[in-house]
Amino acid sequence: MSLELRDVRYRYAGTRQPALDGVTLTLEPGRVLGIVGANGAGKSTLCLVAAGLAPATIGGRLDGEVLIDGIATASARPHELAQRCGILFQNPAAQLSGTSPTVWEEVAFGPRNLGLALDEVIARVEAALGALALAGIADREPDHLSGGQAQLVALAGVLAMQPAYLVLDEPTSQLDPHGTELVASALADLSRANGAGILVAEHKTDLLQRLSHDVAALVDGSVVAHAGADQLLTDRRLDGWDVEPPSSVRIARAARDAGAAVPELTP
Amino acid sequence: MSWFSRQFTTRVIALIPVAIAINIVLGYTVQTVLKLPIYLDSIGTILVGVLAGPIAGAVTGAATNLIWQYAPGIGGGTIGPFAITAAVIGFLAGIWGYLGVFRSRPATGTRLWLAALVGVAIIVLLASRIYGNPAYTDPDIGGYPDWVFTAALVITVVAALAVAGFTLLRRDAAGAWVAVAGAVTGIAAAIVSAPIAAYVFGGVTGSGTDVLVAALRVGGADVFQASLGQGLFSDPIDKTITTFIVFIVLGALSRRVVARFPLGERLVTPDESDR
Amino acid sequence: MIAVVEALIAFVLRGWTGLAVVLAVVIATAVVARIGRAMLPFVLATIPLIASILLINTFLYPGATDTIVRVGPIAPTWTGLEFAVQAALRVVAFALSVAVLGLTTRPDDLVSDLERRGLGRRAGFVISATLRTVPRVIQRAREITDAQRARGLDTEGGIVRRARGIVPLAGPLIFGALNDVEEQTMALEARGFSAPVRRTVLRTFPDSPGQSALRWVLLGVLVLVVVLSVTGRLGFLP
Repeated sequence: MSLELRDVRYRYAGTRQPALDGVTLTLEPGRVLGIVGANGAGKSTLCLVAAGLAPATIGGRLDGEVLIDGIATASARPHELAQRCGILFQNPAAQLSGTSPTVWEEVAFGPRNLGLALDEVIARVEAALGALALAGIADREPDHLSGGQAQLVALAGVLAMQPAYLVLDEPTSQLDPHGTELVASALADLSRANGAGILVAEHKTDLLQRLSHDVAALVDGSVVAHAGADQLLTDRRLDGWDVEPPSSVRIARAARDAGAAVPELTP
Repeated sequence: MSWFSRQFTTRVIALIPVAIAINIVLGYTVQTVLKLPIYLDSIGTILVGVLAGPIAGAVTGAATNLIWQYAPGIGGGTIGPFAITAAVIGFLAGIWGYLGVFRSRPATGTRLWLAALVGVAIIVLLASRIYGNPAYTDPDIGGYPDWVFTAALVITVVAALAVAGFTLLRRDAAGAWVAVAGAVTGIAAAIVSAPIAAYVFGGVTGSGTDVLVAALRVGGADVFQASLGQGLFSDPIDKTITTFIVFIVLGALSRRVVARFPLGERLVTPDESDR
Repeated sequence: MIAVVEALIAFVLRGWTGLAVVLAVVIATAVVARIGRAMLPFVLATIPLIASILLINTFLYPGATDTIVRVGPIAPTWTGLEFAVQAALRVVAFALSVAVLGLTTRPDDLVSDLERRGLGRRAGFVISATLRTVPRVIQRAREITDAQRARGLDTEGGIVRRARGIVPLAGPLIFGALNDVEEQTMALEARGFSAPVRRTVLRTFPDSPGQSALRWVLLGVLVLVVVLSVTGRLGFLP
């Protein structure tokens, strides 16, 4: 059981150039896979393809196969995909449905759409709120939350669908440092407690260092490297790919260049 | 999925509230805050119609008026019953969408000049309805003839120049089609609104155009004729301007995004690509 | 429900009787619901319209000859005044009905109830989302106009200056609003929005058989009134 991309090529509707060119990746349950790459390298596209939104919701042309626990995304309906793989975007405000008076109801939005029994809906909402420690703000109005809180509510809404896999497309990029920390620690706890396979596309390699087991690098729509997090995040080629290494790596290198004796970080 | 239902994809459902909000906010700003003699409350309606289809457009229009009527804060007034007009505008916009009116038609040379001329001709034709109507122009009949005549003249010239310039500068023959679509929509809107304004409100709607209605009635027109006269003055201008705005907005949206709407394919010319 | 029916009746009936009845019902409802004072802003909002109606119709009603007084070329007429007052009261009745509706029902509850009765999640979403989006866009518009005013935009002044003011407002407003639509679509789909099942109902509202019967009666009355009015059978009422 895994989320697999096999030799995936993807082109957005109305365009000629492929956004993804020959990507093969596997996401296992319980593992966190980080994705790094420059702007425009295809990180967001990869997220959309992995979650099945491309092509099911946004059209476009998909070559190759994307299988979520054996089910091909090309032929599945959006609501079926939603229950297998959840996705979180950068902008918290765009993801809140805007129709719920309280955080609780907002998180219930997804399960309600699935027509689940009322007890099941309640159970899922409570579980999602609990997993992210949001029970305290369950009665607040979603419009009045801070960026970090809103993003967590959006995440809770996704978790309430109880997907086996989770895709996060730069979840902290529009948040202030406080919000970023809030979301980052919540994700760290989640990855340990929840058994989901998580795919995180991020600029902030510090975050990936904290969260991921493995990391893959994308350049112009292709995977150019795929290795354990410690290994890839200290790889010298990151600069060439327009990716900033984690601060610990940068500091160590700077210290070494200044002449201090610093042990190498790679095992 | 029926043809009806295919127009209401999730994307369209997500667009409609935004379109309604644009309608209400711009309409309110232009009519109440800036007090200009145009409505400008149909941009969202026409946008939805062109991208999603006639029913979706009609729903957007009707919902705009109904929600505006009942909205706490800026609601009230006389907008509600004109939901019918708004629905017609949205419906027509869907027709234009199906016909691909808003598709870019790059052209050069004679074709381009021809298109510009057609656009200007439409404007002049509309204006001539005003010049030709003694209620507007004859000092003995009309109530406030001077400024009406001058205003109409000024607007005509400006509009003709705008349409011609637009068509020529962008080298896009679609300008002419857009002008036609806008004019037709405007006339239809005026015709549908007149009975509503006359019978439901006695010709007075609390907007800046009431003065014109009054003037026409002094000139001897009954309530219905006066409402129709005022409508034929304001609506074609307003709808043509609105249609052009929608055309510009559509042109500025990324092709990728437009292609995902139900009628998006008709807006994207085959040889376009980006990335 | 009462509010909607009354609003429609107010406009359909010509003459005084319909108006009197409607106003009575509206005011009675308001008193029962204790929202009398809250309706004031709604009434005040109609004043410009009423003034307009009164002035134009009293003075300019064509074909009327029973003048009240003649001051030079200005000749208000009784017929005009009667028509004007009727029209004005009609507007007031309408506004008050709207006020009753707005003040007694919470939009979220109304939409929830409608959905429970089979409205469909897409329609429910459109209504709820619009009610939340409109204030947000208004806020955004205020921010834009404030920023523009700081750069010298005029909201007073001649027509041309005001017209020029639209462009810097309309542009950012429209594109800003459209920006999020794509992401909203994806987020909605990711939460099962297009699942072909009925949405789970969270709460139901108490509804007695009495209320249900009242609704049917009101509907019947409305239809009856409209039909009779259109076919001219109600001419005997003043």
